[in-house]
Amino acid sequence: MPAGHGLRSRTRDSFSRPFRKRGYIPLTTYLRTFKVGDYVDVKVNGAVHKGMPHKFYHGRTGRVWNVTKRAVGVEMNKQVGGRIIRKRIHVRIEHVIPSRCTEELRLRKKKNDELKAAAKARGEVISTKRQPEGPKPGFMVEGATLETVTPIPYDVTNDLKGGY
Amino acid sequence: MAFAKAQKTRAYYKRFQVKYKRRRDGKTDYRARIRLINQDKNKYNTPKYRFVVRFSNKDVVAQIIHSTIAGDHVMAAAYSHELSHYGLEVGHTNYAAAYCTGLLLARRVLKMLELDEEYQGNVEASGEDYSVEPAERRPFRALLDVGLVRTTTGNRVFGALKGALDGGLDIPHSEKRFAGFSKDSKQLDAEVHRKYLYGGHIASYMRSLQEDEPEKYQTHFSQYLKRGLGPDDIEAVYKKVHAAIRADPTAKKSDKPAQTQHKRYNPKRLTFDERRQKLIDRLKALNSAADEDDDDE
Repeated sequence: MPAGHGLRSRTRDSFSRPFRKRGYIPLTTYLRTFKVGDYVDVKVNGAVHKGMPHKFYHGRTGRVWNVTKRAVGVEMNKQVGGRIIRKRIHVRIEHVIPSRCTEELRLRKKKNDELKAAAKARGEVISTKRQPEGPKPGFMVEGATLETVTPIPYDVTNDLKGGY
Repeated sequence: MAFAKAQKTRAYYKRFQVKYKRRRDGKTDYRARIRLINQDKNKYNTPKYRFVVRFSNKDVVAQIIHSTIAGDHVMAAAYSHELSHYGLEVGHTNYAAAYCTGLLLARRVLKMLELDEEYQGNVEASGEDYSVEPAERRPFRALLDVGLVRTTTGNRVFGALKGALDGGLDIPHSEKRFAGFSKDSKQLDAEVHRKYLYGGHIASYMRSLQEDEPEKYQTHFSQYLKRGLGPDDIEAVYKKVHAAIRADPTAKKSDKPAQTQHKRYNPKRLTFDERRQKLIDRLKALNSAADEDDDDE
């Protein structure tokens, strides 16, 4: 019998609940609020059968474009054939977690704003640009002993292993 | 003893998934809790209030709670042991006391939100179904949270619910579970319900005991008799309590100073040294007892 390509095919592991974490899901998921424009990770929770996204979207991150009573609308990119389409799906709250992808940016923005304000107060001009890691600085090697290595002339008898 | 195969092997423990703490304690029904807390996402941060009613052996607790990720936040609470301030000294856990507690909580919350002028509720407790009529400002809405109680007709939880409704809160409900609802006629008998709200069922029990078993009457209702409350006085007491509650529902601060050292309810855990010392002492005692036995022999 052929394998079959149903909606939830090949999801045996990805949709299953983690070890010893089955049953009711913690209530924080239900208490979270989402606003349009938030970034959101789609992570399927196998314990809740309603409002599950298709397995393709498991692990994807998108933006919220709609908020309904029990679900959020998320839009994300999907490559179909030779082009990338922006797809909009509706997913129940239980299958969605707020994404931390913008967290680093937000924190950096906040810190930079503070640094710039402080610099302005002092009257300096500073650059808050991130610099890539440069080459390591030079250093002296400590405690090195010199060992000179010279080649020895080729000797046939040495090389023949076993018998000749 | 015959060889008994160990039922709970190491493997059993390794795979065992514990239930949530509050489920293990048997205190929270998570299925119900999820449905009570879940707020429509398109209402964003609007709080969803629960009217929580819980009974202990000697007390009734009524609270208005809303949930946040940080934890549940109690907006207002009323306990039936507070009713002694309003004139109720005995019978803190009956249907009528639950009604008073619900009423007290409702008036307290409305006063806190300055809605108490607008929503007087049902001043004369008549027992029939009363729902708040919306006025200028929308009424305070809460959802009844019974906890793990079996919701049968005439349960005290619904007495508290009636108290809150008559106090002026907007709680979606049906009259099916009030005391006095007849399953056959599918109607709430307001007279019977009113009897329960004023402790009429207690009064009739008192009367029947007085006639049939006077000694049991003396022991069972000793606290009532100590305060000179007979079967005919009970209704008047509750009427006074209702009036007192409506007059001043604010919580009263206790005169006792706040305790810094709290009483311990469980034994303190011993340190390793203490436990070892205990063992040494026990062994010494055993040895000396054994020595005595040897000497006796």
